[in-house]
Amino acid sequence: MGDLVVRIVDEEHASLGIGLGHNTRFGPVRRVCSKRFSPDFGNERDTVEQIIDPIALYLICGLGAAGIALALPRRDREGGRTMTIVGGLLLAAAFGLGALLLGLKAGETESPLPNYFFYPFAAIGLGGALRMITHKRPVYSALYFIMTIIASCGMYLLLSAEFMAFALVIIYAGAILITYLFVIMLATQAPTGDKDELLDEVDAEAREPYLASAIGFVLIGLLTAAMFRGIGDLPEPTESMTLAQAEDAVLVNLPKKIDKILDRNDLLPDGWRVARDPETGKAMLDVDARTITIELVDGKDSHGHANVLATRVLTSEDWPADLSANNLDRLGYNLLNDHPMMIEVAGIILLMAMLGATVLARKHVELEEDLKAAQARKLGAYMGDEQGGAA
Amino acid sequence: MIDSILNIIEPAQLAFPEPVEASIIAPYLFVSAAMFAIGLIGFLTRKNMIIMFLCTELMFQAAGLALIAFGRHHLGADGQTFVIFVLCVAAAEAAMALALVVLLFRHRESLGASAWKELNG
Repeated sequence: MGDLVVRIVDEEHASLGIGLGHNTRFGPVRRVCSKRFSPDFGNERDTVEQIIDPIALYLICGLGAAGIALALPRRDREGGRTMTIVGGLLLAAAFGLGALLLGLKAGETESPLPNYFFYPFAAIGLGGALRMITHKRPVYSALYFIMTIIASCGMYLLLSAEFMAFALVIIYAGAILITYLFVIMLATQAPTGDKDELLDEVDAEAREPYLASAIGFVLIGLLTAAMFRGIGDLPEPTESMTLAQAEDAVLVNLPKKIDKILDRNDLLPDGWRVARDPETGKAMLDVDARTITIELVDGKDSHGHANVLATRVLTSEDWPADLSANNLDRLGYNLLNDHPMMIEVAGIILLMAMLGATVLARKHVELEEDLKAAQARKLGAYMGDEQGGAA
Repeated sequence: MIDSILNIIEPAQLAFPEPVEASIIAPYLFVSAAMFAIGLIGFLTRKNMIIMFLCTELMFQAAGLALIAFGRHHLGADGQTFVIFVLCVAAAEAAMALALVVLLFRHRESLGASAWKELNG
């Protein structure tokens, strides 16, 4: 037992030693990792490619940090508007540099890069997120966040998660963000029109913009350096399946759906159905060979199993064109079969949130007199300004 | 000098999980990391409580994107299933947080987090 532990520790030290012994950027580390992962990587994998050179990556992060620190809201008398524009330009430069490096990489290697649609979605998503945290007016922030969500829905579609993309639009953009907008409008202190100087101090200034940007971009730099330290050829994911095959694999669990589709294609005579495995109840069809076994059943025997009178095999020529599982089939099966407990937990969380929100929001609060007076003064200042402007 | 810096970074990177060996999802993960960090910066800098909670929603969103990307890489449906639960938690969080914000706003007539700075343990 003790021997085993010691050996594991030694191995870790050894791999660390190999990693540190070579100085060719992150190559050796990557080699150690790939050896540990898949032993059949040959020696030809010693040359390592990276998506983005780490130095360039840290440069991009630095640019982004400077840009966001400048773009965060500040008072106009400190040159807020110009700073915002400069910050925006720096951020755009950082994003453009990143996209350029990715593009150059795509040009010089065969390594697979994302679909072209990825770049506009990423730009809109990140741009919306940046504008959301830099905009002085909460309503605009919420609207920019909706833009970010719609852009990430686009990325979900590219990652073939269709159901989640639509659910995100409906739940996030349709429900959660509308609640936010309502609360922002209910809890706005006083109308400010177009005048930034009348904005509440809460919205007009950021707290510690430089420190926070530095922290945030150190986080990005570390995370992405860990991601980009080396990429190889895409190893065939699980047992060299394609996405379509992975989706069809769920079909064996859905015998009733297969019955319906076969029936629709006039492949099932009366009384016939897809053969079920007597133990597991799974449909007997071979997704790879495209064969389906069907059976003629009549009543049940004494053990409750179906009484099978005859079976037949439909060959791949009979495989109906519309017999395939989609994203929703898989997601629903996974949700209800693999995580039934989580649904109960989610129900409890939502119920508690609903009760809690009701209890909290019902409480009636009497305003203190001086607060009321302050609010009235602010409103008066705004109205007075407006009349002065009109005259 | 660059090499010496990289030598320092290297052991730090060993502490991270295994490298993602799929350049297809790496850019998505980059977007996810950037979104998360932007949400973090917003949470740290903005003084308006509603914007702070919006920033936590942005971080949820980033986590969801990473889940979907990893799920796509493994060709499984688990990633998408967990995004459903992330959505559920985000909805619960929005309800609670907004009820709290409305309550706090009624007390102080201010959305600033610093209006409650005397709350300390």
